[in-house]
Amino acid sequence: MRIGIPHCGHAYIIAEALVQKLGNGESELIIPPPTSHRTLDLGVKYSPVEACLPFKLTLGNLLEACELGADTLIHARGTGVCRLGYYVKEQEQIIRDLGYNAHFLTLDVSQHRFRSIMRLIKNLTNDAPWPKIISALRFALEKLFALDKMEKVVHKVRAVELEKGRANQIYREAVKAMGEAKTVREVKNATKEYIKKLDQVPKDPTADPVKVSIVGEVFVVLDPFANMDIEMELGKLGVEVERTMSLSRWVKYRLFLNYLGVNEWKEVHEAAMPYLKRNVGGDGWESVGEKVVRGREGYDGVIHLAPFTCMPEIVAQNIMPSTKEDIPVLTVLYDEQMARPGMITRLEAFVDLLKFRRRRRRK
Amino acid sequence: MVRVGIPRALSYYQYYPGWKAFFEALGAETVVSPPTDKAIFTAGNSRAVAETCLPVKLFFGHVISLADKCDYMFIPAMRSLGKKAYYCSKFIGLPDMTRALVPECPLILDPEIDLNKGRRSLYHAIYSLGRHFGSDKSKIKKAVEQAEKTHLAYRKEMSDRGITPIQALDEMHRDEDKSYLEPDISPGLSVAVIGHQYVIYDDYINHRLISRLQAMGVRVFTPEMAEQESLDIAMTRLGGAPHWSFEADIIGAGEHYLEVKVDGIISVAVFGCGPDSMMVDMVRHRASEFRTPFLHLSLDEHTSEGGLLTRLEAFLDMVKRRRKVCA
Repeated sequence: MRIGIPHCGHAYIIAEALVQKLGNGESELIIPPPTSHRTLDLGVKYSPVEACLPFKLTLGNLLEACELGADTLIHARGTGVCRLGYYVKEQEQIIRDLGYNAHFLTLDVSQHRFRSIMRLIKNLTNDAPWPKIISALRFALEKLFALDKMEKVVHKVRAVELEKGRANQIYREAVKAMGEAKTVREVKNATKEYIKKLDQVPKDPTADPVKVSIVGEVFVVLDPFANMDIEMELGKLGVEVERTMSLSRWVKYRLFLNYLGVNEWKEVHEAAMPYLKRNVGGDGWESVGEKVVRGREGYDGVIHLAPFTCMPEIVAQNIMPSTKEDIPVLTVLYDEQMARPGMITRLEAFVDLLKFRRRRRRK
Repeated sequence: MVRVGIPRALSYYQYYPGWKAFFEALGAETVVSPPTDKAIFTAGNSRAVAETCLPVKLFFGHVISLADKCDYMFIPAMRSLGKKAYYCSKFIGLPDMTRALVPECPLILDPEIDLNKGRRSLYHAIYSLGRHFGSDKSKIKKAVEQAEKTHLAYRKEMSDRGITPIQALDEMHRDEDKSYLEPDISPGLSVAVIGHQYVIYDDYINHRLISRLQAMGVRVFTPEMAEQESLDIAMTRLGGAPHWSFEADIIGAGEHYLEVKVDGIISVAVFGCGPDSMMVDMVRHRASEFRTPFLHLSLDEHTSEGGLLTRLEAFLDMVKRRRKVCA
């Protein structure tokens, strides 16, 4: 069995780590090359024209995996309001029409998440014993949490570093080291080492960066190719980025704590209530709620990311301007036509506006 | 008498008779906005963000035109009409979006219709809705029964006589000369028009597509002209369990009319429609298997009438020639 997966940010690290621990020689994991313009072109070529960007990118990834010989493809499936529920149905057909003989295994990301992921792992490992699976999962999650933890530090350092690009370089090295780590201990040591390195980056002591929160649709928020490295570009402009959504948070709550009755979005949903009373699928409800919360917390601005024609986010976009909490929101919509310079110009203008507002407020 | 406003948009075409019966049984009067025109379009378009799809923009326009003519505005939040089958996000967010974009709108009645949660939650939603008009439980129950009966009769009327919702609603509205409503059974081309009701029956969006086709001597079939049951069967055969509540009207209708061998299929969707972007492709794929001509029209605010007409004519010419060659 040759297993292919699509990309979403650094999610592949989990799959890689699991295989490292559970691999039995019978099956092989094929991680498609990092998402590139070729991936996008492939996806665009074979997708329905009006499909959303995540559909096109993941299709491109899976096609590249098929080219490398994958015969089993893993994809997320959701039962809910968003188009995600239709991805597999449609992509399966497209891939079959292109003459690849591959079948899909799905990972339920909306209901029965825990059961679904466990069943998938059991299935792919030929019924490996539970203790082995649990220790492999722990190892994989350790890597994921370490990466997200470092990313949070990077967001802060990028905004104030004296020599631009230093933090990114360290982060890239860290990702590489993470991929190479073989044990939990090695992961922990590497994390400590790189966080220390990040702390030692020379910083501008007088810097007072504007603070911006990134909200929106989960795929474009988490995937740097999809959002054109928006966090890095903001860092270059001297902006401190805060992002609630992350893969590790998703895993921590959606796979484990939600089952114990903990709702990580409780505060956000309550904040959204006066403006949007119910879940509209995807991440629309959370986007509205986070705008309100960030407004109260005194952030300088919110950047709202969504794929073009994303239904839940259009609802959020329509409602956001009417909230009482007044905080500037920039909505950036992504599709295959979008170019990076256009995005950067909009970011520069937005950041100028935030700085101006801050000066006026302080006077 | 209390007046309840119902915008002539989105779910109106499917459920208006049922809603009307419900509110009338509770002693209220329903007020419907006029058919879409330029003023309604402009008003709606100016409020919503640009990315919103055309039918939802028009919905806001209809709400604005009704705002000072009623005491309540009826905007249900439609989440689900079947097990694990959902509506588009914009239907669920409709009451909240209206509140944000049309502040002059009167009190919004927004029951959440979620059949995925089971019938109990539906009863609860309807009961809380009925309480706005009095606390008599049995009266609400009667109103629900009345509404259900009317809705089923309306649906049956359309499939039995092969008429569109517009024709059926027209009949309900007035008792004038009905000869023009008799279905045209001339032996011309038969073309199925599939799509959401609010797209294929809103003449402003589709530039009078159906009457144009009829004027060209084409026998037009729309999803309502088939029985709900045969649509459901066709849908399950092609796509498996539905993911969207309106899958029967697109995938189901597409498959059903391909099966009964119409001469061509025209699918009509608005630009930016999420569910359609996926579903239409399935029908297109199926049509190529059947070797049936298929035309997809993607409409938006800017679609020009002339361009649409040219494409229609070219498509019909092709269908005609094919029929001659194959015959």
